[in-house]
Amino acid sequence: MSQISIQIKNLSKRLGPNQALAGITASFEPALLYGLIGPDGAGKTTLMRILMGLLFPDSGECAYLDNHQTVAFERVRSSIAYMPQQQSLYPDLSVAEHLEFFRDLYLISGKVFQKRRAELLHLTRMEPFQDRPAGKLSGGMYKKLGLMCALLQSPDVVLLDEPTNGVDPISRREFWDLLYRLIRQKILVIMSTAYMDEAERCSRVLVLDEGKIIAAGEPLSVLKQEKAGNFEELFLQRQKAGRR
Amino acid sequence: MNPTIKGFLRKEFSQTLRDPRMRVFLFVAPIAQLLIFGYAISTEVRNIRLGVYFSPGDTLAQRIEQRCLASGWFVPAMGPGEDPYRRIQSGRAEAVLIAPPGGLTRAMQRNEGRLQLLVDTTNMIRARGIERYMQMVIQQVISEASPGQEQKPVLNLNLRVLYNPGMQTSFFMVPGVMVMLVCILTILMTSMSLAREKEIGTFETLVAAPIRDWEILLGKTLPFLILGMILVLIILGVAMLIFGLPMTGGFWKFILSSFVFVCTTVSIGTLISTLACNQQQAMMGSFLFMFPGILLSGMMFPIENMPPMLIGIAYLNPLKYFLTLLRNIMLKGGNDQVFWNNLGILALIAVIAIAASFKRFRQTLN
Repeated sequence: MSQISIQIKNLSKRLGPNQALAGITASFEPALLYGLIGPDGAGKTTLMRILMGLLFPDSGECAYLDNHQTVAFERVRSSIAYMPQQQSLYPDLSVAEHLEFFRDLYLISGKVFQKRRAELLHLTRMEPFQDRPAGKLSGGMYKKLGLMCALLQSPDVVLLDEPTNGVDPISRREFWDLLYRLIRQKILVIMSTAYMDEAERCSRVLVLDEGKIIAAGEPLSVLKQEKAGNFEELFLQRQKAGRR
Repeated sequence: MNPTIKGFLRKEFSQTLRDPRMRVFLFVAPIAQLLIFGYAISTEVRNIRLGVYFSPGDTLAQRIEQRCLASGWFVPAMGPGEDPYRRIQSGRAEAVLIAPPGGLTRAMQRNEGRLQLLVDTTNMIRARGIERYMQMVIQQVISEASPGQEQKPVLNLNLRVLYNPGMQTSFFMVPGVMVMLVCILTILMTSMSLAREKEIGTFETLVAAPIRDWEILLGKTLPFLILGMILVLIILGVAMLIFGLPMTGGFWKFILSSFVFVCTTVSIGTLISTLACNQQQAMMGSFLFMFPGILLSGMMFPIENMPPMLIGIAYLNPLKYFLTLLRNIMLKGGNDQVFWNNLGILALIAVIAIAASFKRFRQTLN
């Protein structure tokens, strides 16, 4: 099994009048859960989209390593799963039909699909809802279906753009259990969130603001370094400092 | 078959056919439109409300009136015999024939045969029909009334009506409506389906999936190509079974032309969707193409009558070639030269449309 890590260096991207990313350097290692933390407009989605190859950076590098060997993006592309912020499912197709369509989209063989499908339905506890159209699912179930579609291809890297946005607290907890299972399978998970309390659950955090990394590392050491009790406080402190 | 394309086919078919509104839009609306256009639209002028004014005992004028009403084109005007002009103005009569004072019979004997015909020309097409019919009837009545003075015509016209011997308007209209329906439905289906993916955000997922550009494009267009061809067959069935349209030029020619045309319209739909961000824009864009396309196809207004600039545009119009092909294949026995010439140009337009849509599609992906 391949273990993919990503290294980015001095990434910059301008989107219209906004400098979405202003020189970001970081590295992402497998079997860890990275949280991109920051307020709206910090550049989280832009970074995700660059990692997924949907956007090209204006300057800087984005290197993919497979077992410490640099590989071309095209080679790893099929092992990166991406769940965009705007949940993109077909409201008129059922849960089962979604999984079948994504099987065809990702060229998954029948046998692997059967196993994977049963596994995912069990993990997400969505078995009873297989025939329900996506448009009639609750918010949490909808996100879970999105994640299932993304995970169907047994990815090595999972990029999740605000996956818990608009999900009730119980579903959110279930969602996190799912994410922890993924890391145990040596998968690199990168997620973005605007919920500050979720930051502390990540293995590593990258705190973004106005396109720059203002802090990075393990959540607790970041807080200690910034002399903040939690991440909410950290941002409030920064805001006050900005006003002064 | 490529499993990705197969997956797309399954998905598009179940999405399209599951939606009850879409089912009506696809299968009921075209049949209804075909019936409406085929039956209701007729260039024949009928039920003309005619009033005739003559003095008692004027047998010639009376005979003209009787002959008019017997022809089936005219019906008696409503209301009392008030002032002729007022009768037209109030709409109770469309045409009023007024015999000279003293009677038409007497006037003819004095060689002063003058009749006044008032015609409501707010509808020009009807007015022309009224004038033509009236002249025919009067001529007949006069020549019967005075057999001795009958003038022999210099030439006897031996008229044979080809390809539409019954002069049925539906033979003229139905191929046009077929072109229109196929064009509207395929363009709208394709452009709106792609725009819908963009609108709800699933397009991003498709782009992020490890499949090739052409697989996405083919996956999103092939289902509509197939649906379009099914639609062509349904419409053809209605045209032949209900309107009795013939298929004189060979079924394969019909299918081949339809296929090339549907390829063109599906590509145009794709092209429109690359310029649109949501379904509303896609629909507006489609109409922007379809209205001039339909008006400049020769479906109702002959292209030969248009000003030179519009003729130039009409020659770029795929609908024109498909309509010529359909009329040629269905009514005229599918003359080979007409068939290959028009099909060749249509195929050229198809290739250009496919290439352009593929190019634009790849640009929007990146």
